[in-house]
Amino acid sequence: MDASTLLALRDPAGIPFYPVVFQALYILTWALHAAFVFLSLGAMGLSIYGTFKQKTDENWKILTPHLIQTGKISVSILIVLGVAPLLFTQVIYDPNWYVANTLSGMWIFSFIYILILGYIMYYWYYFANKKTVGGGKLIGIISFSVLIVCGVLMHSFAVTSIMPNDWMNMYAPNGVIDNSGWTFNIKTVRLIFLLSLSIPIVGIFLQNYSRFLSTREDFNKDFIEYTAKIGTRIAIFGLLLSAVMFVAWMVQLGYLIHPVSISIIVGVLILLYMVYQNNNSYITTVVLLLVALLISTLREVIRYDIMSKLGYNVYDYPVNMEIPSLVMFLLTFLILGGFGVAWLLTMAWKVGKTQGIFDGSKDVAVTKLGNYTLGIMVIWMVVYFAWGMTILFNNIL
Amino acid sequence: MDLIGQFPLFYFPEYGSAWMMGVTGTIHILASHTSVGAAMLFAFLAYKAYKEDRVDLYPYMKRYGMFLLIFSYVIGSITGPGIWFTATAASPRGIGALIHNFVWVWATEWVFFFYEVIGVFALVYFMDKIDKKTHLKLTFSFAIASVGTLALIIGIISFMMWPGTDVYYATGSASDAFFGTNTFPHMFLRIGFMIMLSGVIGLFIASAMKKENLDLSRELTKKMGYISMLGGFLVVFFFMWYMGTLPENAHAVFNVTKDSVIQSRIILTIVFSLYFLLAIFKPQFISKPLAGIMILVILIGGIWPGEKLRESMRKPYVAGQYMYSNQIVSRDVDGKGIKSELPILAEKGMLKVNPFIPENLRVITPENKLKVGKILTRIACSNCHSLEKTGKYRPLQARMQGMDKDGIKGILYAIGAGAFPYMPTLQLPDEEYDAIAEYLESLNY
Repeated sequence: MDASTLLALRDPAGIPFYPVVFQALYILTWALHAAFVFLSLGAMGLSIYGTFKQKTDENWKILTPHLIQTGKISVSILIVLGVAPLLFTQVIYDPNWYVANTLSGMWIFSFIYILILGYIMYYWYYFANKKTVGGGKLIGIISFSVLIVCGVLMHSFAVTSIMPNDWMNMYAPNGVIDNSGWTFNIKTVRLIFLLSLSIPIVGIFLQNYSRFLSTREDFNKDFIEYTAKIGTRIAIFGLLLSAVMFVAWMVQLGYLIHPVSISIIVGVLILLYMVYQNNNSYITTVVLLLVALLISTLREVIRYDIMSKLGYNVYDYPVNMEIPSLVMFLLTFLILGGFGVAWLLTMAWKVGKTQGIFDGSKDVAVTKLGNYTLGIMVIWMVVYFAWGMTILFNNIL
Repeated sequence: MDLIGQFPLFYFPEYGSAWMMGVTGTIHILASHTSVGAAMLFAFLAYKAYKEDRVDLYPYMKRYGMFLLIFSYVIGSITGPGIWFTATAASPRGIGALIHNFVWVWATEWVFFFYEVIGVFALVYFMDKIDKKTHLKLTFSFAIASVGTLALIIGIISFMMWPGTDVYYATGSASDAFFGTNTFPHMFLRIGFMIMLSGVIGLFIASAMKKENLDLSRELTKKMGYISMLGGFLVVFFFMWYMGTLPENAHAVFNVTKDSVIQSRIILTIVFSLYFLLAIFKPQFISKPLAGIMILVILIGGIWPGEKLRESMRKPYVAGQYMYSNQIVSRDVDGKGIKSELPILAEKGMLKVNPFIPENLRVITPENKLKVGKILTRIACSNCHSLEKTGKYRPLQARMQGMDKDGIKGILYAIGAGAFPYMPTLQLPDEEYDAIAEYLESLNY
């Protein structure tokens, strides 16, 4: 695919701000999205193991429903977090994303229904397990498999999008056009590496889980120690497996001595040490997020290199600066999002730490954050209508 | 080489790719509108429960919340990106145009969306775990956030119909594109519909509570009847305002089916008014099967045709009255530096400027003419029309039955000259028209 074609596929409206900002936002939001993808798969996979132990083992009797719940909430969060990188990639890499999606149109259409099926079945699994201890095994396994299929499909779209030299051959092999939208590509090593990340992430999650519940008197010490112990084991095994797959992937691409991949390897070694010590899993999680950011950065480096070699440089995308809506986003993100999410998370933390009912009205932080959030939302609405009416009157009168 | 930014064509036989967007869109609208309406209803119930110390309302809210969580947020949150996914395959340049105009608006909506998704879990799972006052605040913030998502998406989907004034074309500003004449009426129309839907879903949940608490079930059934009636009234009222803000081409399409649309809307209004009156005056007659059937009636008889109509009325455009459904830029947008692609298509033809035409089809020969005609027809027509003889969605068969090549060519020339306001004024060189006409003739409509 030559540069003139790739450049022609860019949107004629240009982009509303500097490309590097979209690139950074993409890297950040993909890392957050991926963290919840791996947590959901890890928690779900482990919960299925738990359903087999739940009847006879007291620890798994407590842990399994919590893992199911974790996976269930993580799927919702990964979906909403997934919207952001999807948005930002379409701003600067629209040729890649749209070609991949048109070539895989049937998969793209099916993906949504497969995801709905997998998630609805997850709820079924949740209710079945809630009703009967050890229940829902089969439905859990099917749901897990269906959600893995979704992951594989997303992998296929991403891989197709960075194969511009093969697009024409995928669309019209030997000059015969195929409009069916069934293009499917897989890069096994990359896929296994990414899926393998579910294991260390659920391991570190278990360390956090144990640490979080250690202050609750209604959970006994043996259970707290047990979950920390299996968390450590799972995380160490997972980190080693992921490291091997990562090195294999990098060797395949010739990126092993790239600064970003070296940083990832160093990050994994630090994680291994921290996981083994398990002094403070919350700090381990911060390091894990940094490694996730590095992995996201590496994905972007690979894509950037592929595209710039073909003459498509995202930094050359024409900019049509758009300030008012950018200001709206920044203020909403920082102020409304900041206060709102801080309120919800503070509340969730305190509810989780409390036996019985948590009285938020007597908690200064929760009360203030709640009042601020509501106040900011009302102001946001007032500004929205004032802005809209000003524009409208200006344009029609 | 002169190229335009057209992508590979994804083609879905018999129905067309637009139909696929329609299916996902209809499901999404049911789920998302329910979720926003339900969020407002939830806040109302929580306020009532708190102020009047009605402990009995909490189990209902819990059940409603669970339904909201599973139905609206599982299905709504997946089908939302789902429309986007399908649109990128079916109408990549259309969605690209929206994203490149409104990326920051979408990013802002994402903040609300994120808040909502965490909020809905907090709302449902904290109901028994936090004090009622804090929970009430949570429901209020959740309701405002839900309306916020509507406030942000509405300007984008209104722009799909048109920007309302010519100012946008000169400035290229997202604000001018977003706050068109159509935006606010569209917003209130949908708020009315959301309120009505929340009541309709509420009726289903209230009817399911009969066995546990008959008195509460009846009380809530009545309340939901009033709420639905209010929502229904707002829908009818704002629909009239909304229609008055549509562009000429929309009215041209609407006039074709005006009588049957009005007739079906009157029938729906009567049916639902009776249903809501029944809920208010004879709540004992509202059963779970009836309430379930009425949800289906709204989905199949209300949302599906409504969205189909809205999509039809946009024709021939898919975004901002500058992007045709068949992925061609049809006018200049000076504020963005966008140039119409119609002149270059008329001069050089699709075969030369579409980057994904295989080399063996770039020059028409007697051997490849039908193949060329086939791909040109698919590119130019299939976003809106089924091409097969048995096609289901705006089939060409119904429009070209029994016509020979010259007749078809005549229609193509008329379309290119702008004879039909709802068709793209796409002019192609004679040999490309000829290939299209020959291919269509070969289908023996």
